Amino acid sequence: MIELVKKDLKLFFVNKQDMLLTFALPIIFITLFNFVFGNMGNSGENDVGGLVHVVAGMSVMMLLFSVAGIGGSLIDEKQEGMLKKLLCAPIPPNNILYGKMVYAIIISIAQLIIMFVYAWLAFGLDIMHHLPSLALMILATAYACSGFGIVLASFAKTRQQVQGFSTIIVMVMSAVGGSMIPIFVMPELMQKIAVFTVNYWGIQGFYDIFMKSLPLTDITFLFKVFVLIGIGTLLNLIALLMFKKNILKIV
Amino acid sequence: MIHVSNLRKKFDNIEALKGISFNIKQGECYGMLGPNGAGKTTIISIMSNILKPNEGEVSINGYDLKKNPLEYKKNIGVVTQEIALYNELSAYDNLLFWGSLYKVPRPELIKRIDETINLLGLIDRKNDKVKTYSGGMKRRVNIASALLHRPKVLFMDEPTVGIDPQSRNLIFEVVEKLQEDGMTIIYTTHYMEEAERLCDRIGIIDDGKIIVQGTLDELKTSGSMKETVSISFANLTDERYIRIAKDWKDNKRCDSKIHFYSMNIQSDLSKIILKCNEVGLDILHIDIKKINLETIFLNLTGNKLRDK
Repeated sequence: MIELVKKDLKLFFVNKQDMLLTFALPIIFITLFNFVFGNMGNSGENDVGGLVHVVAGMSVMMLLFSVAGIGGSLIDEKQEGMLKKLLCAPIPPNNILYGKMVYAIIISIAQLIIMFVYAWLAFGLDIMHHLPSLALMILATAYACSGFGIVLASFAKTRQQVQGFSTIIVMVMSAVGGSMIPIFVMPELMQKIAVFTVNYWGIQGFYDIFMKSLPLTDITFLFKVFVLIGIGTLLNLIALLMFKKNILKIV
Repeated sequence: MIHVSNLRKKFDNIEALKGISFNIKQGECYGMLGPNGAGKTTIISIMSNILKPNEGEVSINGYDLKKNPLEYKKNIGVVTQEIALYNELSAYDNLLFWGSLYKVPRPELIKRIDETINLLGLIDRKNDKVKTYSGGMKRRVNIASALLHRPKVLFMDEPTVGIDPQSRNLIFEVVEKLQEDGMTIIYTTHYMEEAERLCDRIGIIDDGKIIVQGTLDELKTSGSMKETVSISFANLTDERYIRIAKDWKDNKRCDSKIHFYSMNIQSDLSKIILKCNEVGLDILHIDIKKINLETIFLNLTGNKLRDK
């Protein structure tokens, strides 16, 4: 499995377009959105609510797009014959999926770290006083999103379908879950629907860290971490079932 | 070495394989020929663990595909019909990846990559991205990726499709070298001359069944096919034809030409020519049609187009 992850990482680093979409594009979005919405709803000079919302919201949304791309790469491998060849190799077939999941988690963690480090360097978001909670929330959010791309790939036949589905689903989840507009300005019904999105739990978790300064051991904060781990586990289980049913069905 | 017994595979309502059985000895190159949709790739796919059969058994070196798939797979190398390479990686990185899946120790793997890449004439371009390669070069890397773990059995599914004659010839030489080294090879192709040149035994497959299998000589004699010599004459008359036909009954006259049929035209040709001289026929042109794999193939599988 390690070899599969290493191969995907190698492919990621030689593909400039992937690097650009994963790291540069979210940074551009965060910068632009922060200039426009960064001070929205802030009550004072030290209030970072607007900035946290932009960084957390954009990071989770862009993360979902990135993992959708990873799901798309599985479809590419199927269409180009690599999956067939992998099935001929002396590795358990499920390792192909686990490799993709681990790769998705690594890329997700890297993407979130870069987003928060950028927010710290460019806009002064205080990440240094919240490092343990931030690290835990990054891990939980990355895990929650990791199975999303594979689940999408399991239902699609082509990469174009993955791209189409992912654009619609991510945009809807981001709009409803608070990546674009803060939850508190939404109607009550929308706020209730928002809890069904990964964006909501990720963003609320980052709010807990930066706006409420909740410690790592706080039960409210840990609950969000557990919900994210639950979402991740559910998505990865669906991915495993669908991988066997659809993706491994070669002919 | 390789034992395949009563292999059956259904896709929805279509029965792709209807009980395929064959055995292959160590070091043998076994060719699978058949029209499109005959079932060649399905057989290779099942033997490579890409597809699961509905019925039947496959074993290599005593390792059963169902009971011991990981040990079975360590013994095989598969050259798939598709060029299964990562275009953004170099040939070297591709080979490093495919080789590492077979747990070849790193220093040994690097040594083998260099040897294999050299054997396939790609040493100068090994660090270039595969996307910059020609079709023939990609095919050669595709073959190299199946050889790094030194498999005992190599499956090659149409490995020369769409490449230039130079690359094709190099691939032939590599296959011949592997045979010399004692590797067992299963080779599917549409090109008869490839099968004639490379394969020790050939199985002709059609409609999910093996119609006939054996060495080329065995295939030639297995059917009732005859070789033909067609001779055009300047002065063929009815009287002369009757005299010839009296001695050589297996013939057919077409205007000034006679087609003579024989099981062994090489030994009968001189007798036919002597008889023609004896009756005073002036020969204008002689055309010999010997039995080759293509004529056997077409005779067994028919001329109907297979577009499924």
